Amino acid sequence: MTTAPQPVAATPLPRPSSRANRFRRRQGWVVGVAVLLGALVFWRYSQIPAFGPFEVRGIVAGTMTLALLAMAQSVIVISGGIDLSVGAMMVLANCIAARLMLDQDLGPVVLVALGVVAVAMLLSGLIGLVTVVSGVPDIVVTLAASFILAGLALVVLDGPGGGTHPRFQELMVGGFDQPLPSLLWLTGLLALVWVPFKRSRLGIATYAVGSDRAAAFLSGVRVGRTRVVAYVLGGFFSGMAGVVTTAFTGSGEPRASIGATATLTSVAAVVLGGVALMGGSGTLLGPVLAAFCLSLIPPLMLGLGWDPNYAEVARGIIIIVVVMIGGLVQVPRRSR
Amino acid sequence: MSAVTAEPAARDWRQALVERPAIALTGVLLVLYLVTATQAPGMLTLNGIRSTLLLACPLAVLAASQTLCMLTGGIDLSTVMTANFAAYVAANQSGRGPVVALGLALAVGLAVGTVNGIGVGVFKVNPLIMTLGMASVLLGVVTVGLVGDGFLSGSTRLLPVLRTVASGTLVGPIPTNMVVWALLAAGLIFGLSRTGLGRAVYAVGDNPVACRLAGVRIWQVLFAVYLLSAVLAALGGLLFSGISGSVGPDQTNAYLLPSVAAAVIGGTSILGGVGGYTGTILGALILTVLNRLLLALDTTEAFRQILYGLIVLALAWVYVRVTGQRGS
Repeated sequence: MTTAPQPVAATPLPRPSSRANRFRRRQGWVVGVAVLLGALVFWRYSQIPAFGPFEVRGIVAGTMTLALLAMAQSVIVISGGIDLSVGAMMVLANCIAARLMLDQDLGPVVLVALGVVAVAMLLSGLIGLVTVVSGVPDIVVTLAASFILAGLALVVLDGPGGGTHPRFQELMVGGFDQPLPSLLWLTGLLALVWVPFKRSRLGIATYAVGSDRAAAFLSGVRVGRTRVVAYVLGGFFSGMAGVVTTAFTGSGEPRASIGATATLTSVAAVVLGGVALMGGSGTLLGPVLAAFCLSLIPPLMLGLGWDPNYAEVARGIIIIVVVMIGGLVQVPRRSR
Repeated sequence: MSAVTAEPAARDWRQALVERPAIALTGVLLVLYLVTATQAPGMLTLNGIRSTLLLACPLAVLAASQTLCMLTGGIDLSTVMTANFAAYVAANQSGRGPVVALGLALAVGLAVGTVNGIGVGVFKVNPLIMTLGMASVLLGVVTVGLVGDGFLSGSTRLLPVLRTVASGTLVGPIPTNMVVWALLAAGLIFGLSRTGLGRAVYAVGDNPVACRLAGVRIWQVLFAVYLLSAVLAALGGLLFSGISGSVGPDQTNAYLLPSVAAAVIGGTSILGGVGGYTGTILGALILTVLNRLLLALDTTEAFRQILYGLIVLALAWVYVRVTGQRGS
């Protein structure tokens, strides 16, 4: 009895993914966060009888610092590291700015702001350099750095104080009911700093190093330099966060716990924003939107008549649950 | 310097340090202790030794939980909040007798550890995120509990037994809390090197994929580690409250960096698989003496913080350099 030979199954050619598919894979998470933010804003809108520019300005200006810190953390996480000193850097920048801006004219105040951002970039680059050169894990280096930076902030300003120019405040975070400056600053930084960086050789190298350091090295990427650059860019954003804090509060506050809390929230925003902690993926838009979501939680709770202190609990649970869901979604795609 | 002849000697020296970090660390500790004694002569008296041991104990207990987590390649950022919470619960319930109060405080540790363990072990949440989220949750719970007539607003009277154990003197320069510390250290060192779970902890940290293929149930190992970590944290919080004589919602927060640093200085790699508790004990002692030295120097709080950060960084750097135990 003869059996017909089994037809050999042809190996299917890999089909190129469609545009929509690629968009879903790359931006799906960010769109999800944006939808969540929209829902939260709508909820807040329904809570307040007169939701107007005043409330919008309050939300936007109040979140700017956190959004900038989330950007700082994201750049470093994308490059495959983590920086537990971004909050302390923000506090230090805030203290330097507030001390030097006190009773100055607008011109010098703007110069101080530029100088402060430059100092933050320098210090953050130094932290990155130490991480790269020493081989000490980044968590340890940046934890130690957070102590050093918090100490420096106390040297600059030994208690709440300092000040700034009212016109400068309006320029950075807008007046009483003017949300535009904050929004323009955030979109401007995303569009004019992040997008060009991401598309440059350095930006692509940053993603490569974060994705697989050894492979990046073997493809000729200068791994050490790229990692330091990521820290410098992170320093730019955390320095900006300090300047914005100065403009928002009109003073400097050297309390170390502010920095520690801000650091933790920045990591939370990064994770919520869809930047994988393993590095090499994600963008900065997601974390910025996530920062807004996170800072909407306390007012929403207040609106519900709950103790806003539960916001910390909610934040923690949201972070954990989101990462769990993200893990479950991602497991089939890449098994690690 | 002739590199050719120096090379093997240097390698032997390094090899010895990698295998026996305790020797070098003991040397560092002794030198640091003597330097500190030049600034604070009280250090050379029995009382000076006693206070060093006394203060090192809670740090060493908190560092024990970091050591365990770091050996599996993780970290526990919720230890200090767990410690604060447990100490508060013990003080709140002190009216109901030491057994109930201490039991409830340890139950806090068990509960936190269970959640952390399930998150990290079963759901494979990144430990950094899991414990960060947990710290956030605990901070919120404690804050809410303290407001008005929340569930933590009761008595803040310390248990007498806690005061005795945590700040009493056993004999000569040996404080009573050394008993707890010694038992715990013996258990950890024996457990890590001689039991199956202990070996599995190293194996999981070294290569989780190989572990899974070899049939190790990784989730069980991680669950056990994070459970134990939170219980140790609760114990550390109780011991600290016994020394400070009070409870506070953030009283051990300043121990977070030192607890990680003690493990790192003691030779435990944050990447997992390398290290042990012996080194961590020495790391905790070194950091305690360092703190004493900085206090003896007549400087401001700000300068002390800067110096502390710099020295921790320098110690970690030297250690990594000497042992060649670099980050990936």
